[in-house]
Amino acid sequence: MITEDFDRILDDCIDRINHGDNLKDCLSDYPAYSEKLRPLLESMHDVQKTYTFTPSADSKRAARQRFHAALDKQRQATPLFSFFRAIPRPAVWATITVLVLAIVAALVIRPALNPSTLVPSVDGNFVFLISDEPNDIGDFESLNVTISKVGLQAADSLKRLEFTPETQTVDLTQLQGGQAQEIWRGNVTTGRYSQVYIYVSKVTGKLKSAGQTVDVKLPSSKLHISIPFEVESDAVTSFTFDITVVATGHNGKYILKPQIGDSVPREE
Amino acid sequence: MDKRNRGNISAINDYETQLSGLYEEYYDKIARYVYVHIGSKEEAEDIAGEVFLKALMSLKSYREQGVPMQGWLFRIAHNLTVDYLRRMDNRRTVPIDPVMLTGSDNPVAAAEENIEFERVTEAMKQLTAEQREVINLRFLGGLTSKEVGGILGKSDGAVREMQRAAIEKLRGIMGVQT
Repeated sequence: MITEDFDRILDDCIDRINHGDNLKDCLSDYPAYSEKLRPLLESMHDVQKTYTFTPSADSKRAARQRFHAALDKQRQATPLFSFFRAIPRPAVWATITVLVLAIVAALVIRPALNPSTLVPSVDGNFVFLISDEPNDIGDFESLNVTISKVGLQAADSLKRLEFTPETQTVDLTQLQGGQAQEIWRGNVTTGRYSQVYIYVSKVTGKLKSAGQTVDVKLPSSKLHISIPFEVESDAVTSFTFDITVVATGHNGKYILKPQIGDSVPREE
Repeated sequence: MDKRNRGNISAINDYETQLSGLYEEYYDKIARYVYVHIGSKEEAEDIAGEVFLKALMSLKSYREQGVPMQGWLFRIAHNLTVDYLRRMDNRRTVPIDPVMLTGSDNPVAAAEENIEFERVTEAMKQLTAEQREVINLRFLGGLTSKEVGGILGKSDGAVREMQRAAIEKLRGIMGVQT
């Protein structure tokens, strides 16, 4: 039983380090195990340091181009895209040229790496919601999470979109099970997206048992989920970002994490 | 087009979108995963690119039987790595070979890096193939224990246990070597 607990704690620390948390924070969350954890996590660090390398930008770009070329070829070969083949070639090339120029203009002329900020709209094509996967939320009387910003990463370019939630503070105890709270609705550029991230500026938790406020940590101030989804102009896509709170051992501390399995994009 | 075909095409389109979305995050991780096995960064980068092409060509046969797409990508990476090692079999007899790291302007730092690389690689070789795979997928691939379990056909509890045993073994060997 003790070994099983330790396996879970070690596993949690490895997950957190993989998501950018540091060894020291993890050890401080598990003081009873820190002596045993430290050498193991240092070994993890040694292995990662030895084998981690950043692939060359040229290789990655070339591979990306090959992948997208193959993807385009495959899509053109499916019946759904067959009508594209019926379009006379000059028209196709003109369209491609316009698209390429538009993309170049968007990426080079505009300061593309700066995220575009979106404004809310009641009849928008995108709805963003927050929900809670019930892990240790039952320990809390209230758990208020303040979200200062939400970002969407485009799948096919470096473009990022950001918006400020209309409702910034949500109480996760009210959002268990199928409950979710809409925090923003507006128009989002149509296209494919690969990541959603939220910036959490404040977390205040009150325990049921003692009625006292507790320390709820974040792996980092930015919680992100990698999940592909598409926003279309003629449909409303709603994205529910699931957050969960988990007790870190038996030290009365909690950590707030994104829950990828339950975060879902849906077309309404 | 009948309903079933439309459904299949729609599913394939969804998978294509999903695969495309994973490219930026997983290309680097897959390259690192392959690098541990073959010891060549350039070849690892090539194989990482090949993984996505192979996945794209195999989407029709892809079914999410409890394994998320990123786990499936690592399965493909594993198979391509095995193929690569088979081709190189006359030169390599173990899955992980120490290699000389090059490209540094500082020979002292490069020598130290080489020593460290050999120390870690020697320790990794002492693990069982399954333990090595768990370490590789968790530390370099960044997968969760549940995802690793999906790939290896084990429960996440079994993966956590194997992970702890593997790190303890690594620590024992590397600690002695230090």
